[in-house]
Amino acid sequence: MNTIERLFGWRHALDHPVSLGVTVSVGALLLLAPLLIALVNRLARPEERLRRELWQRYASWLLIAPAVMLPVLAGAAWTVLAVTALSLACYAEYARATGLFREKLLSALVVGGILALNFAALDHWYALFAALVPLWAGLLVVAGILRDRPQGYIQRVALALLGFMLFGAALAHLSLFANDANYRPMLLMLLLCVQLNDVFAFCVGKTFGRRKLAPNTSPGKTLAGGLGALLLTTLLAVALGRLVFAGTALESWPLLVLMGVMISVLGQLGDLTLSSIKRDLGIKDMGALLPGHGGVLDRFNSVLLAAPALFHLAHYLLPAVGHGQAARIITGG
Amino acid sequence: MRAWHYTPAADFGLAPGERVKCVRREAGLVASLLLRLFWALVRLYLRVWHRIRVQGLEKLPRETPFVLVANHTSHLDALVLGAFLPSRLRDRVYPISAGDTFFAKRSVGWFAALCLNALPLWRRKTCARALSELRERLAAGRCGYILFPEGTRARDGALAEFKPGLGMLVAGTSTPVIPCHIEGAYDAWPPGKQLPRPRRLTLRVGNALAFNGLPDERAGWEAAAVEAHHSVQKLAQRVTCGGFPGARSPSRL
Repeated sequence: MNTIERLFGWRHALDHPVSLGVTVSVGALLLLAPLLIALVNRLARPEERLRRELWQRYASWLLIAPAVMLPVLAGAAWTVLAVTALSLACYAEYARATGLFREKLLSALVVGGILALNFAALDHWYALFAALVPLWAGLLVVAGILRDRPQGYIQRVALALLGFMLFGAALAHLSLFANDANYRPMLLMLLLCVQLNDVFAFCVGKTFGRRKLAPNTSPGKTLAGGLGALLLTTLLAVALGRLVFAGTALESWPLLVLMGVMISVLGQLGDLTLSSIKRDLGIKDMGALLPGHGGVLDRFNSVLLAAPALFHLAHYLLPAVGHGQAARIITGG
Repeated sequence: MRAWHYTPAADFGLAPGERVKCVRREAGLVASLLLRLFWALVRLYLRVWHRIRVQGLEKLPRETPFVLVANHTSHLDALVLGAFLPSRLRDRVYPISAGDTFFAKRSVGWFAALCLNALPLWRRKTCARALSELRERLAAGRCGYILFPEGTRARDGALAEFKPGLGMLVAGTSTPVIPCHIEGAYDAWPPGKQLPRPRRLTLRVGNALAFNGLPDERAGWEAAAVEAHHSVQKLAQRVTCGGFPGARSPSRL
């Protein structure tokens, strides 16, 4: 596949059976969901508040699902653009919640770092990407000194570094995936597994959950929900991974199970990471952009840790993510 | 180890539409950039189209908190008062504007919030709560207001009485109130006219007033309004007498 086709070749959107399958299933789910919600409302007769929340959540999903899937399907360039927008939106919520947004220089540098990382990914210049993470971290550490105001230095620099690592470095791995000719099924598999992981945990937890997983961090999560999600997500990941990674070293069962467990566990840990941040700040949601969900971060927290882990697993085992694709497509050399 | 102290954005957790109308609104990175850009354009416009003169530029505040008050005859007034403040304060200066004029329509509200950094005060509904929120915010020290205590643009161009709302913001605090007078704005763009005409504007900045001796109650509020009104009137009279020091060689900006 040549570079232009990878970047903009929407005609290849549904070439891979997993891309087709995921797109069709998500589309079908979005079409069927109103019927399901109406059925639940008719049979279970939940109270008004829950009923409204169900519809709100559905309306938000109508927005989120296309916003996530269309760029991935449309081409690598759009994928990188969407990931950049997602990173910036997540950082903006984090910065406003922690108060870091008042440190204009540090905030601008984190934004600059997010743009730089995604540029490196778009350029398919892995060495630059790898170099940017520690070097930009150093830049933030230095920028914190500049105003000669040591009071609060550790707090503001640490907040900036955490924001840069989670919403810059970690999320930009989604952009790195886009350098692979086969990036669509990989990303769709990851995103679907991570999002369903949350749904599985919620449903299993509501049905069987008794013991709390981490009551101080996130009172809603139960051990049963976590284990149920682990089982179901791993099954889903293995089934999809079998197709996505057919013909590669990742095709073997033990590795696929490892991958599934990794996605599920890291997805839940990402969720708990954000819960810890919110608890520490004393807030419930990270924003109010998505009715029923909260902020963008409340929806995408579970991708934060899973994305880099899956990327490096694949990068290590696949020869490389982006193997055979032209490198440094913008900078040349 | 002592826990860190976080201060989330004061308008945190509001939907975008609510944020626009919130008097606790704080500008983020994008809004700050927009504000700097917009106000640079405003300054250019005032210099070119209105050949603006500023007398007493050095009396404009360099730090927050403060309240700038002036006579109000035109939509140009807020632009004139805001344009010559230090640009690093740009995202912390809030013109207090009429909610029913600037925030009733959504598009106008977004413009007022993003470009002017304006905060709404609803004239018809009782605005006592909003005023006390504004007072708290001012006392916290991280903001400055541009306020027209007459409450509306003077339809005849003459200076009307000041409303006690100004006093409700500052009575009993050491927040400096800087009286200003704007000349020529009524001629350039009076109420009812569609577009501003290229008339010369003059901004006169007076000496800062402090109202820390006044009680935070009706008597104090009214006394503050009267004193501020008196100061603005004095600045206005200097215009007609022509006795203002430096009036012969005003600094062209």
